[in-house]
Amino acid sequence: MAAVSQKHVQLALALPTKLRSFLARYPPVAILPAGVDPETSKTGYQQDTPNPFLPMKHPVTGKWHDPKYSLRRQADLVKLARTHGVEELLPFTPKKTEERLRKRVELGLRVKGTGVDQKVKGHKHERTLVAKMEKRREAMLEMPNLIREWKKVGKRNWTKFPK
Amino acid sequence: MAKKAKSRTIIVRLLSMAKTGYFYTFTRPRVAQPMGLLKYDPIIRRKVLFLEQKKKGKAVI
Repeated sequence: MAAVSQKHVQLALALPTKLRSFLARYPPVAILPAGVDPETSKTGYQQDTPNPFLPMKHPVTGKWHDPKYSLRRQADLVKLARTHGVEELLPFTPKKTEERLRKRVELGLRVKGTGVDQKVKGHKHERTLVAKMEKRREAMLEMPNLIREWKKVGKRNWTKFPK
Repeated sequence: MAKKAKSRTIIVRLLSMAKTGYFYTFTRPRVAQPMGLLKYDPIIRRKVLFLEQKKKGKAVI
């Protein structure tokens, strides 16, 4: 048991300083020692901002505060964590791999209208094309009857002219 | 001032009954019957009935 934890300590020490200090300030539940209540053992940093990667509304003033880490520094940390295989220890951030993949799927080709639940608006003539062709088709189906009737009634007595 | 005399002939528009919006324009005497013709509609490439369109408003053509 001691050997295993010793190995983990060695692995943790092998991490870059940036990552180590971040994990020390914001330790995820996964790396807390067994038998410790995650609610009571929060660091001071965690009490101030549960997720330093997201903007936070101040509980008293109600003002929005920027994330403690800028998006650039978040991306740096995520890249660093990914190369060392500890990405899942970081809190939620839009820079995480799975979030980026999710976004990629949602947005599709980045062309407006190709993502999930999006529609290509198209030009007006494209939107009305189906209805127009249907109207034409019905008129053509009715055409022999119309011509027959027109010939029967005669030019002189015909009264149904289009508007 | 006297009103301008109406012309003897008028220009009429014969609309395709195939609802394609295609039309021919003809002149006919004002007093004649409204026109109707079997003519070619290039949009559906067939001969269809063309009927004179009713005049809108007071516009004198």
